[in-house]
Amino acid sequence: MTRTALRIIAGKEFSDHLRSRRFHLLFAILAVVAAVGMITGAVQYTRDLSDYNAVQMIAEGEDDPTLAGNLAGLMRPSILSAYSQMGMLMAGIGVVLGIAMGFDLVTREKESKSLKSLLAYPVFRDEVINGKALGGVGAIALAMGAVLVVSVAVMALFGIVPDLGEFVRILVFGTASFLLVFTFFALALLMSTVSKDSGNALLYSLIVMIVLSSFVPIFAYTPVYSAVFGDPPAQPGTATYSYQQGSSAYMVTTTKVGVRASGDAIDPEALAEYERASREYTNQRRTITDIVTLVSPTGNYQTILGAASQPAGDNTPGLGSLLGALAYNLIALLAMPAAFFGLAWVRFMREDIR
Amino acid sequence: MILCDRLTKVYNGIPAVDDLCLEIPAGEVFGLLGPNGAGKSTTILMLVGLIRPTSGACSIGGIEVAAHPIEVKRKIGYMPEDVGFYADRTAAENLDYAARFYGLSEAERKRRVGDLLALVGLDGVGTTVGGYSKGMRQRLGLARALVNDPEVVILDEPTANLDPRGVLDYRRIVRDLAGRGTTVLVSSHILSEVSKVCTSVGILARGRLIASGDREVLSRAAMQDRVTIDVETGTPMPRFASPEILSAEFSQDACSARIVAESDISTLIAKTLYAEGILLRRLAVEKPDMEDILLSYYTEGTA
Repeated sequence: MTRTALRIIAGKEFSDHLRSRRFHLLFAILAVVAAVGMITGAVQYTRDLSDYNAVQMIAEGEDDPTLAGNLAGLMRPSILSAYSQMGMLMAGIGVVLGIAMGFDLVTREKESKSLKSLLAYPVFRDEVINGKALGGVGAIALAMGAVLVVSVAVMALFGIVPDLGEFVRILVFGTASFLLVFTFFALALLMSTVSKDSGNALLYSLIVMIVLSSFVPIFAYTPVYSAVFGDPPAQPGTATYSYQQGSSAYMVTTTKVGVRASGDAIDPEALAEYERASREYTNQRRTITDIVTLVSPTGNYQTILGAASQPAGDNTPGLGSLLGALAYNLIALLAMPAAFFGLAWVRFMREDIR
Repeated sequence: MILCDRLTKVYNGIPAVDDLCLEIPAGEVFGLLGPNGAGKSTTILMLVGLIRPTSGACSIGGIEVAAHPIEVKRKIGYMPEDVGFYADRTAAENLDYAARFYGLSEAERKRRVGDLLALVGLDGVGTTVGGYSKGMRQRLGLARALVNDPEVVILDEPTANLDPRGVLDYRRIVRDLAGRGTTVLVSSHILSEVSKVCTSVGILARGRLIASGDREVLSRAAMQDRVTIDVETGTPMPRFASPEILSAEFSQDACSARIVAESDISTLIAKTLYAEGILLRRLAVEKPDMEDILLSYYTEGTA
């Protein structure tokens, strides 16, 4: 009977999402973005493939073995580059979809005063929050599945059939997209449990989303990193000049030019010290960048997307190597929604019903 | 059927319900009375398993609520004070959703939902609940409380938003339930409503039960064996001599008087006036209404 209550609640939530105008609108945008992204990508892919074939023909007729080898070694274009373009758009719309689906799940029950009645039915409290999460996960999975089907259908229309390796990478892309949307759904659900009304829940969700997607990643940008952790070590015997090349709201692009200060010979010890400090700086920066990426769901998503959409070729890592390289990002993308949902669960279980 | 044993709930160090002991036999229609903040709703929330007591226990049908909330929830029907529904669904859809939690088959649910909507006068209303008036929501709340054919019905301020027709329907439904042996607990501050449907009442003040019993017993206790008699005559009346009289107030022309006595001495007054040849225009013995009873207990309980 306990499972029955969970199924009833999850079923209602799933049905509510599918009936929601908000879901219809965002899903329609998502589907259009997927279709347009795929059409653009497919057109580009067809053009790239034609160029690639032309180059291969040139390589076959080339007398110079070095040039022929270079031309033949060019990577074959991949349809996955279209997914890369689509993924960038998904990172924006999917995040909004996740928040839109979750921010009022609990507050709406509080506002409509239906929560008290719901909890007075023979249900355990955890079934309510679990049911809401399951219903949402189901709707997200359906939306993501539909987007994948749309993308494959567009490819089929252009006569492009992915091979097994590409298809597996498309699934990795789909899974990562699902986890990204689920992360922000779980975040919004958490905010819905801690807030008194839907307006505040939405506001808090957006604030945390901005922090995770935009504020945290700026620590990986060179100027911010230098400001916080210091400049990279200067090469001995050179003077460095920086000039501003461009700027945006929170990012300044500067270019550094090293100029030999004099014609004197460089002290080997100073050079060795420079190389050691430079290695240390680079390692530290890589660590910080990795941590920043792991903390940011969109950072993880883009890392996975970048790796999964690499052109296929003889030197392309297999699925095992790909998943191995992305293990931390995948774990982080799984851990974050789990943490948000765990907090939402604990908060809901302790909710004071009056 | 309903038992509270030293039930206590403390919020931020302040007791909302304080050492409450209460027993409501099966088949009783019990009115829980009290001013705002007396602890009525908190008591009900503990009875329906929505909040856990700080100490003490409550049970319904011999099952302790905190230990077996699901079993208890199956036995009860509850209508909260601030009754809420899914606004984008119809009354039938809302009731059907509620009924599914009690394991009713689809055919049973359909029949039950139809019967209940007819019972509360909402059959044939096809719009979603978002367009309902407060009174219609209240009616639907009553229907939802009965969806599982409960042994115990707990109603928190059930007539707060009802129109006169709705109030009549509510009384009829509660009496029908009582006639079928269902135990009904009604929490209200509308005293006249409680007096019309309840067979016994309990009075809460500051989280404590300060009085309980049937209405007559409470009435006598509240008035502490005092009877007020209003007398009006055509000509000035004499002073009445009786050791039972505690106080008497006469108008300036002595044609009307308000007499407080230890017992009903209306017959003695009538005889005296008849013997004096004075025309009696009005002789009324005031019985305390629920408001008097309640106020007397509040004054006593909060003193």
